[in-house]
Amino acid sequence: MRDAAFWSLSVLLLGAAAAVVTARSLIRAAFALAGSLLATAALYLLLTSPLLAAVQVLLYTGGVLTLVVFALVVAGANEPAARFRKPLPAGMLALAVFAALASAIGTLPAGPGVGGLESGRDVGLALFGDYLVPFELLSVLLLAAVFGALLLARRERAS
Amino acid sequence: MLPLALTVLAGPLGALALIGLVPPLRRSGRPAAFVAIAGTAVALMAAAALAAPFVTAAPPAPAAFELVWMPLGTVPAIPFGLLVDGLSASMAVLVALVALLVQVYSLAYMAGEPPSSLGRYFAYHALFAFAMLGLVLAHNLLQTYVCWELVGLGSYLLIGFWFDRPAAGRAALKAFWTTRLGDVGFALGIVVLWSAAGTFTFAELFAKASSGAIAGGALTLGMLGIYAGAMGKSAQAPLHVWLPDAMEGPTPVSALIHAATMVAAGVYLMIRVAPLLALTPAVAEAVFAIGVATALLGASMALVERDLKRILAHSTVSQLGFMMAAVGSGGAAAAYFHLLTHGFFKALLFLAAGSLIHAFHTNDIFSMGRAVRAMPVTSACFAAGALALAGILPASGFFSKDEVLAAVLAGGHPVGFAILVGTAALTAFYIGRALLIALVGAGSGASREAHDPPPAMTAPMLVLAVPALAFGIAGPTVSRLVAAPEEHAPVVVPILGTLAALGGAAAAWVAFRRGALEIRARGPLAPLIRALERRWYLDAPFEWGYRVLHAGVFRGIAWLDRYVVDGAVNALAWGTWGAAGRLRAIQNGRVQDALYAVAAGLVLLAWLAWGA
Amino acid sequence: MTAPALLLVASALFSIGLFGVLARRHAIAVLLSIELMFNAVNLAVVTVAWSRGWLAGVVLALFGIAITVAEIAVGLALVLLASRMPGRVLLDELSELDG
Repeated sequence: MRDAAFWSLSVLLLGAAAAVVTARSLIRAAFALAGSLLATAALYLLLTSPLLAAVQVLLYTGGVLTLVVFALVVAGANEPAARFRKPLPAGMLALAVFAALASAIGTLPAGPGVGGLESGRDVGLALFGDYLVPFELLSVLLLAAVFGALLLARRERAS
Repeated sequence: MLPLALTVLAGPLGALALIGLVPPLRRSGRPAAFVAIAGTAVALMAAAALAAPFVTAAPPAPAAFELVWMPLGTVPAIPFGLLVDGLSASMAVLVALVALLVQVYSLAYMAGEPPSSLGRYFAYHALFAFAMLGLVLAHNLLQTYVCWELVGLGSYLLIGFWFDRPAAGRAALKAFWTTRLGDVGFALGIVVLWSAAGTFTFAELFAKASSGAIAGGALTLGMLGIYAGAMGKSAQAPLHVWLPDAMEGPTPVSALIHAATMVAAGVYLMIRVAPLLALTPAVAEAVFAIGVATALLGASMALVERDLKRILAHSTVSQLGFMMAAVGSGGAAAAYFHLLTHGFFKALLFLAAGSLIHAFHTNDIFSMGRAVRAMPVTSACFAAGALALAGILPASGFFSKDEVLAAVLAGGHPVGFAILVGTAALTAFYIGRALLIALVGAGSGASREAHDPPPAMTAPMLVLAVPALAFGIAGPTVSRLVAAPEEHAPVVVPILGTLAALGGAAAAWVAFRRGALEIRARGPLAPLIRALERRWYLDAPFEWGYRVLHAGVFRGIAWLDRYVVDGAVNALAWGTWGAAGRLRAIQNGRVQDALYAVAAGLVLLAWLAWGA
Repeated sequence: MTAPALLLVASALFSIGLFGVLARRHAIAVLLSIELMFNAVNLAVVTVAWSRGWLAGVVLALFGIAITVAEIAVGLALVLLASRMPGRVLLDELSELDG
């Protein structure tokens, strides 16, 4: 049952990803990305990380998708006639990277995971206990990103 | 003693650095001259202080100072060092003294030069003085060789000082190439000796050679090489051809370099390695034979020369032959004595000749004349030098030539002795001829308004005249300087020498007392005289060789350079150009192309980590 | 469902994303592809955490998500900025990246 779910989710994930990188329409690509992120969230569930799956759906999928669509609306899709530049070498290099990673994975011992990875409570305690300082620094990073994005995207006033 | 020895070198080197590195000083002319003179004066004082203990009755032991120069791993390191003994200290005094006098003389002689080239002239002088003193004080062969080449460079620069005269440029090149020919042998000889003995240091070489630690063949080969170098520098036949042409340089330069010091470097070197020469009789024989031949050759060519400086140049060649003959027959002390006296009287002769040339604006002795009344000081100085050169009592040349002849006779060379006595007669004849024609005769220049030069020129001549006349009494001291036993020549030697000199002088008097009377190329002697005027046709093989080299080898080298070397360089350039054109694509400022490299790097890392 | 299998899926996702980054011309499409790659890395982190039972991996993944969101906000702002210059959202025409 779990294996079947894993394989079907994997196929869904990779298919959606392929759609992201090949779709002619950027809107379609954005929604395909949302699909692949959701499939990943489902995989997180299988990996016994429900909190992570929830965060993935709420923050990542929702936030990213909203941002992207918003940007497309503002900037205009104005899609080029040609989607790709030099797709053949890019594809070969991507395949080579996959082969490299796969050969590395081939050296790992196979086996089921330990499982029972987290409860939300554990993660919360970890975040506000051991990882409190990085967590707070992260908030500074997010704040900086907000300011940076505002600064960059702001229209220059004619003055 | 070490600080003094270093001061000897530091004086001229400091002057060279100051003049060379401070362009305003060099361009200012006379201030640069004073800097050079001060540097040489410092060197002279230090050298005198260095030499003073060695002329006492109880001379100190020779002192050597050395530092590691090039560590060579398993073989002994190459040292850098100074050797202070009677020979080097006294030679340093001669070099510094003549250099100082010539520089003072040059102040007036070269006064017509523009300031910047005057600065250049004195910079060259400082370079030469430094190199020559370094050569004299060197305590190993490699260092000698380095200074040897520096001295050659100084000579080249000064011969070609008036580089806008084609003849000067050609003469500088000729001197450089001819001496290089010998230097190749010198370098090979050093290498041979080093590979056989494992050391460059004189003292160690002597010790190893006398204990038989150096194979006989290698020693002979090495000494032959060193002698080849000395042949080039000391103008031994057939490599003498450069010295007469070197007279294209300024006359003070000829006095310093091509008479008193540099050309004596070859003789000095042979005296320095005399202990090795004593172990290689075959080489010593060659040194002797070539020396005798050179002495005769030089004197014969001086007989018919019209150019005053060239007469003196041929005479230098001849006198160097005398010295080499003495070295080759085991009389290093005699050779050194003659080297010193010759340094004094030949420098004097050249400076006096410079004054004559300065006054008459020509080198041709037949265009001079009646100088005795117009230029009494110059004439007296020239006469003193001529007396010494001819070897007539009581001038210094008499004593040193006497010792040379005695050494040759003691070395068991009666034939060589006879030739040298004959050459001494020729010497007296040709210098008498020059003196009578230039000073007494009624040449075309006799009516000119000639007068003695300013004191800056006469003072050095007068200073040099003293040792030229009186240095003969220093003979025993010189023997002590080189630690040679005092020998008493058979009484027949000075008698024969004096007779030869007086005979030559008398013949000159008979032939030239009425003033300008040229030996005409006529009668049975005509072919001989023509051969002499053409300098025995000895320049021709060199010119032919040079031309053949030029036509054949050098053209081949030029072709090689143009198409192979340049071709390779051009190919490299074009390759770089082409590769740059392609590689420019990397630096196109496109972020995705940069990412290709990142991804490829990832693949490479993975392959390194797991693939190989 | 084994860790290597999951890692292989993550690798495939990463490579697909890489292809998109290298080959797409539109800046927003490239940003989307970058998201795929980030996602692949997160998946790999969680997989390793799961196979070893390391809670820290989950925390790392959370941090990764937060940083990714910040990154895409800035990235989209850059795209907006570029889009104000006519036709400059095509990356192969943006060639002023120096140094």
